[in-house]
Amino acid sequence: MAEEAPALFTFEVALEVANKVGGIYTVLRSKAESTVEELGEDYCMIGICNERFVAMEVEKMEPSLPQMKRAVDLMREKHIGVVTGRWLIEGYPKVVLFNLDTAWDMYNTWSWEMFDKTGVGIPEHDTEAKRCVLFGFLTAWFLGEFRAQCGKKSVIVAQFHEWLSGIGLLMCRMRQIDISTIFTTHATLLGRYLCAANVDFYNNLSNFQVDIEAGNRQIYHRYCMERAAAHSAHVFATVSDITSLEAEHLLKRKPDLILPNGLSIKNAQCMHEFQNLHAIAKEKIHHFVRGHFYGHFDLNLDKTLYMFIAGRYEYSNKGADLYIEAMSRLNHRLKMINSDVTVIAFLIFPASTNNFNVESLKGQAVVKQLKETVDVIKDDIGNKLFDLCLRGKLPNEEQLLDRDHVIKLKRCMYANQCSTLPPIVTHNMTDDANDPILKQIRECKLFNARSDRVKLIFHPEFLSQTSPLLSMDYDEFVRGCHLGVFPSYYEPWGYTPAECAIKGIPSVTSNLSGFGCFMQSHLSDPEAYGIYIVDRRFKNVDETCNQLTDYLYHFCRMTRRERIIQRNRTERISEYLDWSRLGMYYTNARRLAIDRTHPEFLEQTRSFSPTGSVRLPRPYSAPSSPFGSRIASPYQSDEEDNKVFDDDDGDSGLHTSNLISTDTESVLSTATTPNGTGNDVISSTASDL
Amino acid sequence: MAREAFVTLATNDRYCEGALVVAQSLRRHKTRREIVVLITPQVSTICRSRLSVLFDHVIVVDVLDSNDEAHLALLHRPELGVTFTKLHCWRLVQYTKCVFLDADTLVLTNVDELFERNELSASPDAGWPDMFNSGVFVFTPSMETYNDLIKLADTDGSFDGGDQGLLNSYFSEWSTSDTSKRLPFLYNMHSTATYTYSPAFAQYGKDTKIVHFIGFVKPWNHKYDEKTGEVTQVEGPGIHEETLVKQWWKVWAEVQGLEGMRKTTTVEYKGAENPPNYGGQPDSVHEVKKEAQLKLESQKQHLQQWQSSNVDYAGADSFDHIQAKLDTVLQLDDTVNKKS
Repeated sequence: MAEEAPALFTFEVALEVANKVGGIYTVLRSKAESTVEELGEDYCMIGICNERFVAMEVEKMEPSLPQMKRAVDLMREKHIGVVTGRWLIEGYPKVVLFNLDTAWDMYNTWSWEMFDKTGVGIPEHDTEAKRCVLFGFLTAWFLGEFRAQCGKKSVIVAQFHEWLSGIGLLMCRMRQIDISTIFTTHATLLGRYLCAANVDFYNNLSNFQVDIEAGNRQIYHRYCMERAAAHSAHVFATVSDITSLEAEHLLKRKPDLILPNGLSIKNAQCMHEFQNLHAIAKEKIHHFVRGHFYGHFDLNLDKTLYMFIAGRYEYSNKGADLYIEAMSRLNHRLKMINSDVTVIAFLIFPASTNNFNVESLKGQAVVKQLKETVDVIKDDIGNKLFDLCLRGKLPNEEQLLDRDHVIKLKRCMYANQCSTLPPIVTHNMTDDANDPILKQIRECKLFNARSDRVKLIFHPEFLSQTSPLLSMDYDEFVRGCHLGVFPSYYEPWGYTPAECAIKGIPSVTSNLSGFGCFMQSHLSDPEAYGIYIVDRRFKNVDETCNQLTDYLYHFCRMTRRERIIQRNRTERISEYLDWSRLGMYYTNARRLAIDRTHPEFLEQTRSFSPTGSVRLPRPYSAPSSPFGSRIASPYQSDEEDNKVFDDDDGDSGLHTSNLISTDTESVLSTATTPNGTGNDVISSTASDL
Repeated sequence: MAREAFVTLATNDRYCEGALVVAQSLRRHKTRREIVVLITPQVSTICRSRLSVLFDHVIVVDVLDSNDEAHLALLHRPELGVTFTKLHCWRLVQYTKCVFLDADTLVLTNVDELFERNELSASPDAGWPDMFNSGVFVFTPSMETYNDLIKLADTDGSFDGGDQGLLNSYFSEWSTSDTSKRLPFLYNMHSTATYTYSPAFAQYGKDTKIVHFIGFVKPWNHKYDEKTGEVTQVEGPGIHEETLVKQWWKVWAEVQGLEGMRKTTTVEYKGAENPPNYGGQPDSVHEVKKEAQLKLESQKQHLQQWQSSNVDYAGADSFDHIQAKLDTVLQLDDTVNKKS
């Protein structure tokens, strides 16, 4: 048989391919385009078939690769439901999706094989873990068949995301299928549990007895699945330095690489428009605030700053405790200097509620009525004014505003009176007395009194365009705010500050969040770019809180112009967060996996002409970035201040040296394998630069 | 090119020692053919990893995995379990021709010329020379033959309860067909012949090509002193010629010296001085089955403990133990990779 030309096939395996459960879906979905661009037809994603999503998001078609077609057919012969086609997202990637429900017949055989080969069994009651076993074995089956259909010299790389897909990796290794494997954890199971349990996580990281901790929390089998996959993978990777540390101690393997999460900025980016969008969205928030503070509205909206914290309702993991405490201290400091700035601090955490708070709704209604009344009177006055002027008379005050109008206005203003303070929460909480956020707000006595410079509003529901209160979606809300505050304690990556950045909104993050770590190592002066990083790792709680308060206080003291300039700089980071740049880390992970299993392949393909199915990563010099590739413009602030709103070049203070161009180097240095074979990866990538 | 292979079979961990010696004895005489071992699921992971150092392919055969006919036949005649495992060799249709060697044989010279013979070539059995002995035979893998054998087993059974009876029934024309299928006795020299017909052994023994340690006591049951190379035979029916047993142990010691053998060797084989002595009649079909069954039962119970969330995570099920289990396969995979 004639040997086929060596080819490289890449698979990415995750439960969340065309199936939204949590954050991995976002990662895969946004990354697809840049990966397809790099790997083309030899890239395919493997997931499960969730009919609801498949109907909406997948275009079914038969595989075009003959090897894949045969592998799929063999499985279908055994009555396994396999959907093949393309995911209808940017990049249009190929997908192979298994219907787990068609495989339950095999469960006993497979769970036995798993136990026989690994010594790990699955408790009867854990259906999710059992489904993971089915998914894993189906994946290993498919990859095994596919491998058998390929020529000996071909190389197959498979990247598995999260413990949920780990069995696939484990069985590929146990069955000794020649596949170069990468395992990526986006967080560790045990880490999540331990953090939620309020142990002093990072200070005790090296002391945990991991088996016992997992066992006591009834997740030993899941932990074993995760750790076995991490142990067996040719390359082990996590999303951030902080998760890397966590994995090193909880999974007992130091990750070979960091794979930061990117975004697809193409759709979110508005270039020069973003400043205008900020103004438009801010006006909508103004509208809500007028209603919310009815009867107490003495704010100068031009001197009001909107800050917010948002995410899953994990009170301490997300740093809500720190947020409220810092707001309380900020309030004190602003009062001390008699500041005329008002800070309205939102907390957006979906929690269990019994619909909206009556006071909140009433405020919106009252203000709406006043607005309508004023509009009617305004039209009336306008007509009168026109009529009088037409007749050559200049009207006096009484001629314009007649008694009828005054009565109408007075009626509205009486309705506008309010004896209670503006509510701190927009909804009726199911468990008002024990809600941790409300409890803490009460302890700090931040009740939105007139004298308070910081007002708190807890919105315990996702934002939605159709809400009668704050009728805007999350993205729009973010655009309208001035500062996102995310001082998380446990945050393996954390998209929220990144989402702020691409909209040009500055944010606070922490050095315990993956994003914060990434920014810290890639920007030499993150604050200049509107990325404030609070130290939650090496400082005690009080110091951390003071640091956060300092940042907030400093932010409140900035002039409007300074904030506009800062937003321009912040928006520039977005290019840095795009997958077209961050996808390179994944490329390096794949190269490292090949280097550890088939070093000869990299050598062969290097001498190959770059045709056919072998695709090496494209050179990274091509996409130009504002950082490093351009000379900083000389200082010309005076001219630019006049056109702040369409200014995409206003941050003349930016020096290219502010940004350390460590993106490639840091990857490469971590890619060095213990036995030094990683050098191949280094030299080849370096030559691409 | 036509693919040809030597095939052997190991149904439990002890026979794996024999299989390893068969492979090493072929390798040291520079065979140019592939070497394949069929194993049953009872064989432990540790042994599997040891096997895959020497064999080109380690193939797990499970009687229960085979086709319905075989399955059905086995229900009728459960005593044929081990025999059926041997029949699996006919399913190796990726090869055009194979030579089967029992795990209790020892190759003394290059025997690649056996591939010039056709199916079914074998040596006569010393006990009944009109029959062939099924410890060494040349065959052509074929699903047709395999299915026919299963059918025959189901309808007629095996007159001696083992594979030899069944194969002699199927290839009944062996004794009357052309002489090229009748292999010389030297290709399957029963070790018992050394004393049942010692003058013949004295005359021809030096030309022996393959020894077959037939009988209940196998070379691995004897005691071997690694330092002196002395072998102390255990009592039992059928004493083997001491020089041959010593040769077997010499090859065994070579195997232990190979890379990837020692480190995966379990406590069971700690030091070669005292390999497990199972004495008595360790190799009777009955005993083997019973032991495998016990092991299977305890493993099943262990899985049930996991399934009812009753896991000894602080002890026997700690991840260190799981990892050690994984590593036997992972390390092996890595060595294979490095070799290639």
